[in-house]
Amino acid sequence: MTIRILVVDDHPVVRQGLRTLLEGQSGWEVVGEASDGVEALNKADTLQPDVVVLDVTMPKMHGLEACRRLRQSTPGVEILFVTQHDSPQMLREALDAGARGYVVKSNAARDLLDAVEAVSQHKVFVALARRDTLTAS
Amino acid sequence: MKLRILLADDHEIVRRGLSSLLQKHEGWEICGEASDGREALELAKRLKPDVIILDIGMPNLNGLSTTRQMLQHDPSFKIIVLTITDSDQVIREALDAGARGFVLKSDAARDLVSAVEALQSKRMFFTPRVNDLVLAGFLEKGHPISRTEPPNLPVLTTREREITQLLAEGKSSKEVASLLNLSTKTVETHRSNIMRKLSLHSIRDLVVYAIKNNIIQIEMPIGMKNEIPNGGSQTTVA
Repeated sequence: MTIRILVVDDHPVVRQGLRTLLEGQSGWEVVGEASDGVEALNKADTLQPDVVVLDVTMPKMHGLEACRRLRQSTPGVEILFVTQHDSPQMLREALDAGARGYVVKSNAARDLLDAVEAVSQHKVFVALARRDTLTAS
Repeated sequence: MKLRILLADDHEIVRRGLSSLLQKHEGWEICGEASDGREALELAKRLKPDVIILDIGMPNLNGLSTTRQMLQHDPSFKIIVLTITDSDQVIREALDAGARGFVLKSDAARDLVSAVEALQSKRMFFTPRVNDLVLAGFLEKGHPISRTEPPNLPVLTTREREITQLLAEGKSSKEVASLLNLSTKTVETHRSNIMRKLSLHSIRDLVVYAIKNNIIQIEMPIGMKNEIPNGGSQTTVA
C-alpha cells in the first residue's frame, strides 16, 4: 500500500529517526518535512500527504493548533501525533483537535508503523506508554 | 580502522536519527546503543568505544552521573553530552563531570559530526555559549569554570545521586535496591542521609530538588516550555 507522509518535528534528529523508520516500509514515502506548525500547514497544502506525523510542542505554532487548522485546510489528510506528552489529558486534546492517532515518542519505534497504517485507513490508533493500545474504526 | 561510537538515548527514534546521521560519515561505526545510563556504562566498559555520546536526560542514571562513573572507570573515555538546554548550571555540571563535548539536541544534526571530529582529533567541542561562560570565568576570576561541586549539589556522593534520581523517578526503596544490587535497608539509610543532607522532608521535596538540579527532566506543558537557546555557529576548543 502506498502512503505519502509529511513528518513534522522541531528537532532534525527526530525527523531523521522518523524518516528512517517510515521509509523502511515498502511503498511508504516521506514526501516532506517541517519544523513547526506554520511550515506544516504550508507543506500539507502543497504536498497533499495521506498522513501528517505531528509533534505537539513546537515553535511558532504548536501541534494542536496546527492540527485544528489542517482539519479545515486539508480535510482529507489524517493526523498522527508523536509526542513526549504521555498524558490522557493531552490525548483528549489531540483527539478533540481532530487527530486520528496518538503515539508517545518514547515508544514511537514500537508503535509508529502500526499507527501510520491504521490512521491511513481512517482508523483511530492510540498508544500511551503504559497502557494498552487501542485501535478503532 | 573505524572510529567506534557508543550512542545512549532513551528514545529509540532519536538513536535511529543519530545513528543514521553518524553512519553517513565514512570510517565511523556505531558499536553499541543504550537506552539508559546504566546500560551505557556496562557497554562502555565492555566495548571500549572511541567516542561516547550521552543524552543528559536518561532514566535510571542520567547522562551526567553516567559521565562521572565512566570517567572514574576509565579517564581516557571521550564523552559528548547531548542536552536540550545550555543553561549555566547544566554547562557547569557537564564540564565538572568531565565531558569533552557539549551539543544541543536541537542542533545535533548540524553540530554532532563536528563534535565527534573534534574529539577524534583530541580537541573539545562546545557551543558558543559554553565558550562564553568559560571565558567569563577566566576574566572574572582568573581561572576557568570551577571544577568543584556546583552550589546546589553540595554533599551528595555518587551513590546518593544515583539513588536521588531513582527515587525522584518514582521508584520504591525496594525497586532501587533491586536495580543497584543493594539491600532495601541500605537504600533506606542512603535515603535518610540524602533527605538530611539536603534538608528535605518529603519525596515531593526530593522530586522538586531533582528537577531544579537537572537530575531528572520533565516535559513542560504547552506554553510553559522554555525557549531552547540556539547554539549559533559551532566552535571547537583545542
